[in-house]
Amino acid sequence: MLINQFLLLGAALFALGVYGVLTRRNAVMVLLSVELMLAAVNINFVAFDRLIGDELAGGQIFALFIIAVAAAEVGIGLAIILLIFRNRRSANVDELDLLKL
Amino acid sequence: MTLADYLPIALMLILGVGFAAVMMLASWRLGPNRPTPEKLAPYECGIVPLQEPVERFPVKFYIVAMLFVIFDVELIFLFAWAVRFDQFGWAGIGAMAIFVALLIETLVYVWKRGALDWNVASRERYRRVVAPDAEVAPREAA
Amino acid sequence: MNVDYHALAPEIILGITVLAVLVVDLLRIPKYWTAVIGLVGLFAAFVPVLTLGFCESLDFCTEPETAQRVLFGGSFVVDTFSLVLKGLFLGATAVALLLSVGYIEEDRYWQGEFYFLMLCSALGAVVLASSRDLVTLFVALELVTGPTFLMAGWRKGDPRSNEAALKYFIIGVLSAAILLFGMSLVYGYTGELTFGGIRAATAALGDSALLTIGVILTLLGFAFKVSAVPFHFWTPDTYQGAPIPVTAYLSVVSKTAGFVGLLTLSYQAFAELRDVWGPLLWILAALSMTVGNLIAVRQDDIVRLLGYSSIAQGGFILVPFGAAVAGNVTGDQLEQAFFATVTYLLIYAVMNMGAFAVVIAGANRLKSTLIADWGGLSSYAPGLAGLLALFFASLAGIPPIAGWFAKLVMFSSVLGVDSGWATALAVIAVLNSVVAFYYYAKVIKSAWFDQVPDTIPAAELRGMGRAVAPSLQFALVLTAVGVLVLGIFPNLIADVGDVAKTVAAGF
Repeated sequence: MLINQFLLLGAALFALGVYGVLTRRNAVMVLLSVELMLAAVNINFVAFDRLIGDELAGGQIFALFIIAVAAAEVGIGLAIILLIFRNRRSANVDELDLLKL
Repeated sequence: MTLADYLPIALMLILGVGFAAVMMLASWRLGPNRPTPEKLAPYECGIVPLQEPVERFPVKFYIVAMLFVIFDVELIFLFAWAVRFDQFGWAGIGAMAIFVALLIETLVYVWKRGALDWNVASRERYRRVVAPDAEVAPREAA
Repeated sequence: MNVDYHALAPEIILGITVLAVLVVDLLRIPKYWTAVIGLVGLFAAFVPVLTLGFCESLDFCTEPETAQRVLFGGSFVVDTFSLVLKGLFLGATAVALLLSVGYIEEDRYWQGEFYFLMLCSALGAVVLASSRDLVTLFVALELVTGPTFLMAGWRKGDPRSNEAALKYFIIGVLSAAILLFGMSLVYGYTGELTFGGIRAATAALGDSALLTIGVILTLLGFAFKVSAVPFHFWTPDTYQGAPIPVTAYLSVVSKTAGFVGLLTLSYQAFAELRDVWGPLLWILAALSMTVGNLIAVRQDDIVRLLGYSSIAQGGFILVPFGAAVAGNVTGDQLEQAFFATVTYLLIYAVMNMGAFAVVIAGANRLKSTLIADWGGLSSYAPGLAGLLALFFASLAGIPPIAGWFAKLVMFSSVLGVDSGWATALAVIAVLNSVVAFYYYAKVIKSAWFDQVPDTIPAAELRGMGRAVAPSLQFALVLTAVGVLVLGIFPNLIADVGDVAKTVAAGF
């Protein structure tokens, strides 16, 4: 089975996500980048599941749980971003500097 | 792997950080530094924006969208269950009934809290009637 | 399906409590009932923890054939270790709830939802203590942290609270993604999700680069959760910006949950991979202690100081893991290290909760968290100043208050190992204890020996200790008694920790 291709895709998506988290200034884009990382993990899990031929389909089930948890996290994250936008009229992470040394 | 095996990683880190530091230090010490207001301004395409663009979507879109995504995604557990539900018997049906009951309770909560109310006027009413003690917070000075 | 409902009882009771709080919150009755129901539920959930723990001496309790109750194909295990930690989580959440009552009520912020979220998070922690497979562990961990993102931003109008929530949230989901990537590699290499399966597979298959990266990423995900240096950047900001009861909850329950994950993963799932996680956690322990303490010395805000102090304490809790760095470490010594970590976690929970309770009681009236403003606290609130000295002395590790025993077992666990690396870690820990002593003593000195600053109306504040809300007083008494009893009779906790270490057996 073509496992390497899937793993490379997963790793590339994950790296793109990390890059996005580190460079994006808008909190919504940071959130999207994290979702990209989680998608990479899902690809890994499902690919490994098929490779191993897991009878319990553990990898697929794990991927389902990750999707559900990710949705909940997006809900929480958007709520927080919305709150900040209401108070500050901006969703830039750079401008959050009230709590510094 | 022992602790000594981490030495190359540590060296790599020191080299990487050191290289960046040296380059930044060099450009700061060696480069000519004649700032003008134009040079200091952040680079933007086109005209300097005078103000933040206005809010494009009413907030209620977000709330409804978030609720939709969450309830929608919870359904995936039904798919996993549906593949094998004939083997679980009544215990499986009972377990899924509990799961759905939890979702229904959440829906009732969301409904009662007025999150599904599109009409702002009735949201005001809900503030007065359902949650009279949940006042809007006084905004503190930064 | 045969399910051992007795073993699941704490989770079921807590789950029902969570739902009850949500429903009661919708009814038009005073909101404090949600807090009352929450507290009752926490105590009710404690009952099955006790009956499970003392099963052999109870008539109605059918004992399992083995030392542990294994449910759902090994994904969920109830043993003495998980029971001890369930007790810790329930107790700490009850204290955090007591701390929140006055605070949240005063702000008139959505109380019902607050308690609902806190109980949800506690439910996650209680499940986490029993989870012995990667899926359960991940879902439980997210259930612990998810609600705390919202709790950190509870002061909706305060930009600092918003900022604390966003920083915590971004770091939280980032760490979850890293953790999951590591887990996916571990799953791909071993083909197993249960800890027992992973352990057997790694023993059979041997080491590989894929597995090593998977293990390291998984543990790094937890390093974010326990705010080990260099993954600690969010901690001081979040601790300072969040409402103080939430900070107390984060620094005890959420952090302990991270450590429980680390403990079960490294001593069970990755038991055969000691040479991977030993050095990693050695480095994290040394860095956390040193950096946390050195920055804490410079702090002038008491909440921020406690934030850095909790990073440093996290380093101390990691020290016993570092013992595994030695190649010649024996099974007994690893059990001892496991015991040391559990003991430290238990004592840390009590004393840190107490320290935050004092800070809440003081900040409530003084309207300031600057250490300088707390000068001369003893002249107008001697009781509060006394408790402050008690808890900070415990954090510093002065006998006969609980903290010293935690430090003692921590040191003896690494010094017992015959290895230069382990001894070096012990030396670093000793040096750090001295630094820590300095800044804890600085706070005590400020409260007892400094002049009252002009900005503080001491005459008005006289007797403020007695004006503390009853729920807060209860929490203070509970933690103070805990700290003293555990310090004077350390055998109590030694016994508890002793039964818990059986989990690490089998090396």
